[in-house]
Amino acid sequence: MNNASSHNDQTIGEYIPETYIPHTESHGTKKLWKTFWILTFITIIDFVIYFIAPAGLVRNVTFVAIGIVKAVFIVGTFMHLNDEAKFLRWMIILPAAIFLSYLAWLLLLEGSFVNFDKWLRTW
Amino acid sequence: MSNTATISTRKTWEGGRSPFDVSYGKLMMWVFLLSDAFTFSSLLVGYGAIRFSYNDSPTPWPDPATVFNHFPFAHGIHLPLLFVSLMTFILIFSSVTMVLAVEAGHRRSKSEVSKYMIYTIIGGIAFLSCQAWEWTQFIHEGGRLDSNLFSFTDAAQKKADGLKLFDHFHWTLADKAPGPVPFASLFFIVTGFHGFHVLSGVIINIVIWLNVLKGTYEKRGHYEMVEKVGLYWHFVDLVWVFVFTFYYLI
Repeated sequence: MNNASSHNDQTIGEYIPETYIPHTESHGTKKLWKTFWILTFITIIDFVIYFIAPAGLVRNVTFVAIGIVKAVFIVGTFMHLNDEAKFLRWMIILPAAIFLSYLAWLLLLEGSFVNFDKWLRTW
Repeated sequence: MSNTATISTRKTWEGGRSPFDVSYGKLMMWVFLLSDAFTFSSLLVGYGAIRFSYNDSPTPWPDPATVFNHFPFAHGIHLPLLFVSLMTFILIFSSVTMVLAVEAGHRRSKSEVSKYMIYTIIGGIAFLSCQAWEWTQFIHEGGRLDSNLFSFTDAAQKKADGLKLFDHFHWTLADKAPGPVPFASLFFIVTGFHGFHVLSGVIINIVIWLNVLKGTYEKRGHYEMVEKVGLYWHFVDLVWVFVFTFYYLI
């Protein structure tokens, strides 16, 4: 029937759910292994910093920054978000970045409320 | 009748095509992962608020490097955070094998897809076993959902602070004091939520692997299911990166 023969005619732009064959091409594994070694190296740095640097705000911020760098590699390369359509990339990155930084900011700003009752009793 | 309309003749939002150039399933997997990211972030923000409320407390938050200094077959040797680093490495490596499976799927190479998915499943099971061992150790040493024996008395705390790598240590009940309960309960809840995601990921991976063997995706013409499941698995790895950063390091 039509669908069977037009199977191979579909390009990436056509979308009929039942017969959709996504356009895939292999990009090779070099980049993936490179990313793996980068991630391993960054993780080792993580632990080295933990034992060398004194505990405090600077160290914590460094850890979060390192986590974000790892996230960029995992989401961009392993999850192939870097190869996806621009709109999809921004649709995922923007809400995540906005909400997550907003949550973090809220935590830092209002987080001390957690000890409010203790503080109240000091009055 | 020809469906050979190319991208250039179909504007992005004109209909009749996916505006994101991905299938519905993949798009929805991304949306789900976004929602799950919010869930875990809220959990971690809650953890942050509770953890920092103990900064000036008479029962201080225990130091994870002192609590989690165990390693299988190295009973009593001070190896701070070594086991956690092993777990992290296992998960990262399983992520690599997963993405290699996806890449093999792009080349429609059934045997390689199956091979790499097996490695990923084994990695996931290894991680879960490690987590189970960690939980067992923690419970054995006094951590519960509603109580926690993980603070040290002052004398023991001095001993603990002075421990160096590979030192021998041995804590008795006399060295321990009740500590902040949330340390233990949050450990179980945060790692438990994550571990549950790993478990479901392993189960789903097994199902998809069986389908690969069966030839379902050869018949279908593409290995996109492997990609979607790969997205979920990478998300699990990503969450672990932040869980271990926030719980063990910060």
